[in-house]
Amino acid sequence: MAHVQPITVLIAALGGEGGGVLASWLHRSAIAEGHFVQGTSIPGVAQRTGATTYYLEIVPHAGARHRRSDRGPVLALNAAPGEVDLVVASELLEATRAVAQGFVTPERTVLLASSARVFTIDEKAAAGDGRLDAQAMADIARRCSRLAIIADFTAIAAQAQAPLNAVLLGALAASGVLPVPISEDAFRAAIRAEGKAVDANLRGFEAGRAPRRTASAQGDKTGDQTRASPPLMHLVSQQLEAFAPQARAVIAEGIARLTDYQDAAFANRYLARLKPFASRPGAEGRFLRELARHLALRMSVEDVIRVAQLKLRKERVLRVTHEARARAGDIVDITEYLKPGAEEILGLLPPRLGRWALARIRHDRAWPLKVTTTRASGFLRLKALAALKGWRPHTLRFAEEEAWVERWLELVDRALAMSPAAAQEVVATAALVRGYADTYKRGLANWRKIVECVIEPMLAGRLSRAHFADAVLQARLAAAKDPEGEALAETIAAIRRSAAAEHAAAE
Amino acid sequence: MPEVSFHQQIESLRLGAGEIFYGEGILAVTKALLQSGVSYVGGYQGAPVSHLLDALVQSQGLLSELGVHLETCTNEAAAAAMLAASINYPLRGAVTWKSIVGTNVAADALSNLASPGVEGGALIIVGEDYGEGASVIQERTYAFALKSSLWLLDPRPDLPSLVRSVEMAFELSETSNTPVILELRIRACHMFGSFATKDNVAPAHSANRRLGPAPFNYDRLSHPPATFRQEADKVERRLPAARRFIFENKLNEQLGPREGPIGIIVQGGLFNVLNGRLALAGLSDVDGRVAIPTLVLNVVHPLVPEEITRFCAGKSAVLVVEEGAPDFLEQAIGQILRKADVGTQLCGKDVLPMAGEYTPLAVGKGLAAFLARHDRAGPALEQWIARVEAQQAQVGKALVAPLPARPPTFCTGCPERPVFAAMKLLRREMEPVHICADIGCHSFATFAPFSQGNSILGYGMSLASAAAVSATQTKRPISVMGDGGFWHNGLITGVAGAIFNKDDSVLIVMNNGYASATGQQEIVSSAKEAGGRGPGIDIATALKSLGVGWIKRVRTYRVASVARTLRAALRSQAKGLKVVIADGECQLARQRRLRPETARRLAAGERVVRTRFWVDPEVCTGDHSCIRLSGCPSLNIKPNEDPLRSDPVAHVNNDCVGCGLCGEVAHAAQLCPSFAQIDIIQNPTGWDRLKQRLSTGFIRLLGGGGRSKPALVTAE
Ligand code: SF4
Repeated sequence: MAHVQPITVLIAALGGEGGGVLASWLHRSAIAEGHFVQGTSIPGVAQRTGATTYYLEIVPHAGARHRRSDRGPVLALNAAPGEVDLVVASELLEATRAVAQGFVTPERTVLLASSARVFTIDEKAAAGDGRLDAQAMADIARRCSRLAIIADFTAIAAQAQAPLNAVLLGALAASGVLPVPISEDAFRAAIRAEGKAVDANLRGFEAGRAPRRTASAQGDKTGDQTRASPPLMHLVSQQLEAFAPQARAVIAEGIARLTDYQDAAFANRYLARLKPFASRPGAEGRFLRELARHLALRMSVEDVIRVAQLKLRKERVLRVTHEARARAGDIVDITEYLKPGAEEILGLLPPRLGRWALARIRHDRAWPLKVTTTRASGFLRLKALAALKGWRPHTLRFAEEEAWVERWLELVDRALAMSPAAAQEVVATAALVRGYADTYKRGLANWRKIVECVIEPMLAGRLSRAHFADAVLQARLAAAKDPEGEALAETIAAIRRSAAAEHAAAE
Repeated sequence: MPEVSFHQQIESLRLGAGEIFYGEGILAVTKALLQSGVSYVGGYQGAPVSHLLDALVQSQGLLSELGVHLETCTNEAAAAAMLAASINYPLRGAVTWKSIVGTNVAADALSNLASPGVEGGALIIVGEDYGEGASVIQERTYAFALKSSLWLLDPRPDLPSLVRSVEMAFELSETSNTPVILELRIRACHMFGSFATKDNVAPAHSANRRLGPAPFNYDRLSHPPATFRQEADKVERRLPAARRFIFENKLNEQLGPREGPIGIIVQGGLFNVLNGRLALAGLSDVDGRVAIPTLVLNVVHPLVPEEITRFCAGKSAVLVVEEGAPDFLEQAIGQILRKADVGTQLCGKDVLPMAGEYTPLAVGKGLAAFLARHDRAGPALEQWIARVEAQQAQVGKALVAPLPARPPTFCTGCPERPVFAAMKLLRREMEPVHICADIGCHSFATFAPFSQGNSILGYGMSLASAAAVSATQTKRPISVMGDGGFWHNGLITGVAGAIFNKDDSVLIVMNNGYASATGQQEIVSSAKEAGGRGPGIDIATALKSLGVGWIKRVRTYRVASVARTLRAALRSQAKGLKVVIADGECQLARQRRLRPETARRLAAGERVVRTRFWVDPEVCTGDHSCIRLSGCPSLNIKPNEDPLRSDPVAHVNNDCVGCGLCGEVAHAAQLCPSFAQIDIIQNPTGWDRLKQRLSTGFIRLLGGGGRSKPALVTAE
């Protein structure tokens, strides 16, 4: 039987991204060029930012059959795996989804996709870093397609201030991969005929057509690699030479951070705390780098003074103006949402007085503030707070943080004597203590629990040392993943159980 | 005004004889109604058939020229009841809704309509919300057709076939005095294609040419003893008449060769999927020239026994391709063959899946198994199945973990999101309570990051579903209902019931002004605005008139006050129903209204303040608690610029409409101090500029902003 195969196109997009309009442009232009077309979509409630797909089938040069009402070609309403000629995806995960469903195949499919990510709610909501591996997704997509055109079309669209779907159409037109002849002018005519935001869409179309460097999927997951810049390296003083090269950039950054945070003397204290570790056996580069990184962060804890200081930075207004796309002549106001709690405010008092006051006030008291830093009164209030920098070393909060740092370093020190791998994990527990208010309190409580129930028993030899590093790792991951829940308590119970079992076996 | 504007499409509803219509399936059906001379149209919105009503609402001019009456009904029961006009009068009428849910709601009126039968053609167009993209329980409309003796069409999905089905449906309905259901799957409704049009027909009797009342005729009442006569009439007269009409007019199509050892019987709606797999097996082509005898059932109820036996006779086996459970068709065909003593082997759900959408892969596998049994297996189909499964397995392995789903969610700036943020905060503070969820945008709160809700019992049913729960729980349950569900039936089924029974529970009514999930159709409480149809009936007044004593109104965006009000409702000593009306206009509708207005004012040089939020990347610690309390698409994450940190920071993009939730949550949950509100004064006045200059001068006097970031970092 004669097998005229229709040309099949699948568009994978997110609701509200104009996937339907893109399908409609293709549709119109294909009809204008004398082809027979039928298409459909699955929008439904998915219009509301969920994943949506559009599917088109085109029978080349059979346009005359549109006019016959008896029997047109019988076109499928669902894309069939392995039978798609072109997949256009507005986002990398959706492109990968099309691959996983089998719509992109090495024998047949051209994949045109934006490498940009629109993160799913699970990726966004994870405490810490829950992002999928973009590089791995792009690799799979490339491997599974006949031809992959993957570039950051989203950035091109942003630059052209045009809709992404128009940029994708332009890229499609320029690539010449559409297996059915449609001229660029037919696409332009379709954009005009559709009649929506014609200028912006035409601009996007041309931007998509423009030749570009083939960008790989952006690999932002640099993980814990530092991105220290060359100028930084010039500042490496003799002091840094004591440390493994791998750690130097971070230490230099730490020095700069703490000098800005407090003063040179404080930065020196940082160095003094790090030095004893530099020559310790087992403290290789990676260990030192992580220790230096966490130490700098924990020593520059964001108390109210620091927050005020950061919010008065000169470049902030410029940055906001640029990010919010304010035009010349516009006035930009920045209003900060702050809500310091009792502990944060009383933490500014000297330790004894502060503790006395805290004992007499409800800890959940907090004061919601809106402070417009671009206006005189708001500016003045934050300026006054930031001016307390010199007073900071006399405050309760400072004393508490210093005590915490000493305690943590002591644990690291003892762990290092026992097992470098475990010491590495003890270092990493510092990441649990961060944020403000409840987040901070929860983090600190979780950290204390890990110290009390895992680290100390290990150090004291009450739990099997062989699993020291692993136990701390498990506990810290549980606390990070589920800071509000029961995961940590369950993990600790499991660690105790397995230790008890081992104990029994040994006897 | 509905979300989708149909200006171009509306023009195509006016096309005359010999012109070509290009457009969506559901609009083609709309055009076919006008070509068939309908006198009245009605329905209740719901994907995938909302567009039918939306387009007609926007075609008032055309409708009044033709004399067609349009009713946007308050629910599907009302829409079904509207067809009563065809019981006594020779009026053609059509109504539409989403099935299965809408048919459930309409069931009582449908039974009472079907029993006396109709004089004028009555057509019910249902969007069969089944398979990928469906938003309701997966059931078949078929059962309703069977039990009430309604005829059910499931036409081949291409535009000419849909249009012909509509035209024939009216004739079938009139010939057999029976209402007809036309079911359209999601993809068929959204299918974009073409057909040659005919002139619209102005009905003989209509809003423009009115009738007098019909004479009294007891047999037109669904009331005993007429009901007994009607039951007999259905099977003795109407059914044979329908079968004759179907047979004589060839509504079902026999394709391919007449004779052959095996055959296929397929629902019309599935023919295209089947044809694709047959073509792959070398047994058909793109024009549907099948090489195996194929009976396409464009009418799936009633079946015509002679047609089935004639088709099957002489074949050793037939395959029934029928989507969903139960296998009504297969059972009916089996019975027909058995009674006629035709020995053809019957295949169907033994090789095809019992449940779930018939995708190309599902149909391909079933077809391959059937063909293999009867020695017609072609290698191409089997190789394709093997290749597809191998690739899916291979990619699955390479991906390590399954790809995360991307369910729909609240739009940027949605007024409902803050209510769920407040509920989540309350859940942390108080212990969780039982939540009765409902149908509407607010059902997105069942997804992350809110992940709440214990049951969904249908549209407007949340409060009714709380009745026994509230009586048996230690804490008051909360029911969430939209204004759409409230007017659809929540007011009576829920509120009146709760008042009558003195139920002790809490109801939140999301008053966003529209039936938003289906595309912002106006409802009884929609505000009267330019061009809008809403009469602006007040929900609180309606509640008061039913005797609800505890009613509080909150602005949804005020998270702290929403939380306070809910806390009060949960803790209140007062027994009985407590209702919180959460006011906040649908943001999509609001933006659609405001955007052109803002653009005009900007162009005219008028002062416009644009507000959005911003996250200070230097202060954000990467904990993302803010996202766990919001999930706004504009509140995103981006790589950390700080060389000492690696976790991504929160980031607000330029789609932010400045709804204020970010700030509210930052305060209510005492999050990190990284949120800021940005107000951009465009076309500032002289006074604005003077004030700003004074502030800037003063700030400079004080030494300006603090120090810059250390050079080390900015050098990056
Ligand atoms: S303020 Fe926050 S929640 Fe509201 S639209 Fe902007 S990003 Fe979304």
